[in-house]
Amino acid sequence: MLTIKNLQANVGEKQILNGIDLQVNAGEVHAIMGPNGSGKSTLASVLAGREDYEVTGGEVDFLGKNLLELSPEDRAREGIFMAFQYPVEIPGVSTINFMKTAINQIREYRGQQPLDAVSFLQLMKEKMKLVEIDQSLLNRSLNEGFSGGEKKRNEIFQMAMLEPKLALLDETDSGLDIDALRIVANGVNKLRNKNNAVIVVTHYQRLLDYIVPDFVHVLYKGKIVKSGTKELALELEAKGYDWIKNEVTVA
Amino acid sequence: MIHIGKNTRSRIVSKGISAGKSQNSYRGQVHVMKRATNARNHSQCDSLLMGDQCGAHTFPYIDVENNSARIEHEATTSKIGEDQIFYCLQRGIDEEAAVALIVNGYAKEVLNQLPMEFAVEAQKLLALTLEGSVG
Repeated sequence: MLTIKNLQANVGEKQILNGIDLQVNAGEVHAIMGPNGSGKSTLASVLAGREDYEVTGGEVDFLGKNLLELSPEDRAREGIFMAFQYPVEIPGVSTINFMKTAINQIREYRGQQPLDAVSFLQLMKEKMKLVEIDQSLLNRSLNEGFSGGEKKRNEIFQMAMLEPKLALLDETDSGLDIDALRIVANGVNKLRNKNNAVIVVTHYQRLLDYIVPDFVHVLYKGKIVKSGTKELALELEAKGYDWIKNEVTVA
Repeated sequence: MIHIGKNTRSRIVSKGISAGKSQNSYRGQVHVMKRATNARNHSQCDSLLMGDQCGAHTFPYIDVENNSARIEHEATTSKIGEDQIFYCLQRGIDEEAAVALIVNGYAKEVLNQLPMEFAVEAQKLLALTLEGSVG
């Protein structure tokens, strides 16, 4: 589904990604871990098409298309969804209104008719149940005055509504208490199927207890220095990142 | 806004939008006359800036002739942030629609107070004015 080859990216003059190679197939969950400043969030942002990052080399293929040539909105319309680490507030715009605009623009891109009010409401009710979110939250201005947990739940709700092929969860676990973490993880698990894939960017193993990854990659200094299965995450939790840093330095 | 009688209250909400090279000014007078005991006024002036060549200015004129009056004035300036735009883009909403969404959300508090026909008209006017103003 997603093939990343030797991806390099800069912020200003500073090179953050130093040649990332990653293959993600449909139905898989990949976790990207690594110490602070290793480039985890940059990778997610580059894939989503944020302009602050300049891609200086490499290729990214998404479902047969050159992802790097697509505008951010077209990437979203092709099925890439990013759950933000810090979702922004948009005063006066309710989540419902926001989602309606998004869904209809995506449908237009795919050559479909806009969703009528009744079907939209039906879809919304169904997804609300799935991610255990209350309608009162969706009537409020998008993310305005939301607690950390509410914001993240709202992100997962949006993910449910848009049914992406590839979901990037950028430190979705930050700022969540245990209950919120469980609800968010449950939502993600329910949305998993054999046709979509998830990339989870996280610091901690905790989230991976709930969203069990097929592969774990460790990012360090802008490169994937180690890949493994979920046991690798447990090992990291026990030993920290230092042994990986040492291994890289020795090699 | 002129307060003449006792125990009168008023509220002013002004929402200005500046795009391109426009400068937007709010001038509003609140006058509390001698006999207007316990008059209250709250003024709120919000300005939204689009781009980096526009500006917004607020000039409140307050004349109070009665000491019991309570007058409040509050002003905010905000900018459509790149983060807000990117958030919309990431959900598949193009830039023009994103700006329209954000601006409409911003103006909603005022537009909601208008009678239906005016509100629809105002909204269309807003969309028309903003067309192509994103650079």
